[in-house]
Amino acid sequence: MNFSQHLPALIVVVPLFFAFLMPLLARWRKQWCVPVTLGAIIFSFLAALKMVFQVMSTGPFSYYMGDWPPPWGIELSIDYLAVFAALTVTGVGLLIIWYGSKDLLHELKSEVIGWYYTLYLLLIASMVGIVITNDIFNMFVFLEICAIASCGIISIKESRDCIEAAFKYLVLSVLGSGAFLLAAAMLYMVTGHLNFTFMAEALPEAMALYPNNLLVALGLLIVGLGVKAALFPLHVWLPDAHSSAPSPSSAVLSGLVIKVYAVAMIRLLYLVFPRELLGLAPVMDMILGMSTLAIIIGSMFAIVQDDIKKMLAYSSIAQIGYVFLGVGLMSESALVGGILHIFNHAMMKSMLFLAAGAFIYGTGARKLSELKGVGHTMPIPTIAFCIGAFAMVGIPITSGFISKWYLALGALDVGRPFFTAVILISSLLNGIYYLPIVVNAFFSKTEEVVPEPEKLPKQMLVPLALLSFGVILFGVYPSLILGIVYRAAQLLLGL
Amino acid sequence: MTITEIVLRLHANSYYFFAIILFIIGFHTMLTHNNLIKKVIGMNIMDMAIFLFFVAIGYVRGGRSPILEPGVNHTFINPLPSALILTGIVVAVSVTAYALSLIVKLYKHYGTIDAEEIMRIRGGGSL
Amino acid sequence: MEDVIVRYVSRFILPFVQLYGLYVVLHGHLSPGGGFSGGAVIGASMILYALSFNLAAGSKKLSHDVSSILESSGALIFAGMGLISILLGANFLANRAAGFPLGTPGNLFSSGSIAIITFGVGIKVASTMITLFYSLIEEEDHSHDHH
Repeated sequence: MNFSQHLPALIVVVPLFFAFLMPLLARWRKQWCVPVTLGAIIFSFLAALKMVFQVMSTGPFSYYMGDWPPPWGIELSIDYLAVFAALTVTGVGLLIIWYGSKDLLHELKSEVIGWYYTLYLLLIASMVGIVITNDIFNMFVFLEICAIASCGIISIKESRDCIEAAFKYLVLSVLGSGAFLLAAAMLYMVTGHLNFTFMAEALPEAMALYPNNLLVALGLLIVGLGVKAALFPLHVWLPDAHSSAPSPSSAVLSGLVIKVYAVAMIRLLYLVFPRELLGLAPVMDMILGMSTLAIIIGSMFAIVQDDIKKMLAYSSIAQIGYVFLGVGLMSESALVGGILHIFNHAMMKSMLFLAAGAFIYGTGARKLSELKGVGHTMPIPTIAFCIGAFAMVGIPITSGFISKWYLALGALDVGRPFFTAVILISSLLNGIYYLPIVVNAFFSKTEEVVPEPEKLPKQMLVPLALLSFGVILFGVYPSLILGIVYRAAQLLLGL
Repeated sequence: MTITEIVLRLHANSYYFFAIILFIIGFHTMLTHNNLIKKVIGMNIMDMAIFLFFVAIGYVRGGRSPILEPGVNHTFINPLPSALILTGIVVAVSVTAYALSLIVKLYKHYGTIDAEEIMRIRGGGSL
Repeated sequence: MEDVIVRYVSRFILPFVQLYGLYVVLHGHLSPGGGFSGGAVIGASMILYALSFNLAAGSKKLSHDVSSILESSGALIFAGMGLISILLGANFLANRAAGFPLGTPGNLFSSGSIAIITFGVGIKVASTMITLFYSLIEEEDHSHDHH
């Protein structure tokens, strides 16, 4: 029995299996919860690594669920973009839950901690499922699991703000899923297939007969996935939801969940819809417009915030604009920059949120004015925050510089230097709100006497150190990850 | 296109037309009513409209329900949309249950389930 | 709701409701229905019991421990059947290719692993309906005991 040929199914099934086992463990054997969760996510991470090596050496492959070949069965297609996103999700997810195993004991009531691990495993399994599936209804089911699990990890804290934020997120998220299902119904209506490759073959002739149907489906898809990925005018749920959640939840939501919906939109726009359709309506121009507004206005809102988590949440709105800028420009360098930014921002933003969580754990202070001088008493989280801030601004030797460089080159390739100017101006705006925190943390003395902060356990310090090491490593040696991103961009553009 | 042509076309596609009307009713309820439970009901109506749209795709004129009996050969309607929507209905039920439990918790915290009251108590919503 | 007529009639009807639910679950591959709808019927029967008698009698019949074991085991049966088919050599959740015994279509014991999966889904949906009902109805001082 060849175990490694079943890895595409096992990478989703193993976290799901242990997610269903977790309520029993939380009732009867509470001390097994954390090792079982970590073991399941380590298994998924190793499976993703093995699939990366397999895809880079022999090319993309697919897996038929139930041994039923494609038009009748569900197909999981493992290509470069899928395995890259799966590696990001499982890797960063592993570090976040390792951090959370100690941080959650302070933030949640003790009865509900077992349920947090259940929801987290469901979230990881559904995110990996969204990126590797090749069937549109399977993607809808995973989309809904991801929506409920992500609302769950916000509202588990049971304070006033987070219940309200979770309700707002849930209602808007269901709206997004409903729009996605309606788009799937319209595509099924004219092609009769649910599989992406078969739909892509049948769509050009359907477009000649029913162009309006396809345009409505495209519009509904962009609105539906845009609400869930917090693209500019549809971002209103994000600041409350990400700032009132517990710190590991904020990290996984800002770093991973909104990116996965962008990956889903990339797959649908480039692999399913025919290129002539994108010429009938100015879809890419609208995406470019919305992402530019997201970048500028997100940064401007972040400047005026006082609470550290709300500022980081508004910064996420700006950063998802970079990914969509890469999608909309449609040149090879821009697509490489956009896809690479998914990986870089996952690492940077998770590190920033985990460092903010460490500040709150140690001193209980959330407002920026209360965090003056914290660099003297809590050196490691502050250094991690500073490396993250430099990476967000885009200073060379950090990985943030590499993705912005590719985006700027891509904008020049297509002949639109306006977007290069947008990227430069937004880097300046990022500097305006990140660098004062760095300066205040290290170089100012506190006015009143603050109590000695609590010592951080090593489960919280090691993920911060690993993430900051990763940010600098991929800034100095970007070729480690660029190989797979180049091939993903070439496959998507059909080169 | 004359009025009779439009009316005949709408009559031929009547299932889809009523599904879209239900979608608009559900969406409007969700947006404009202040009571949180009415928002959840609007969400449900919107989901049911989408399911009606999807199921109506599978109808074949003159077909029978797709249960195979040995020796009988007849046109059947498409069974795939109905099977997919069964999953969708279960997802909608789960989301409704979760939203209602969130409303119970909100009532315990604020004492009201009116969205505008909650925003006023909170002190002017967020941007 | 403590009315004599409601109690008497519900005590009389309940076995038939549960039998009907079990029929819908087990004949999932032959007639419309299957795991979701049959499980909802069985769950509704337990909710009827809890509504017509009081809540304490209902939670004594099906305590919180038992319902959480049923809930987890229903989903684990589904995943377990998929993993069994990996062990038997075919892909995840394969039916004929993995060698499950398929009888003639139209019989009760045909269709291999579908019947077992439907049964697992049925008990999961039934216990989920009961858990949701208890969580939404209980007062706050009870809700901390049951977590």
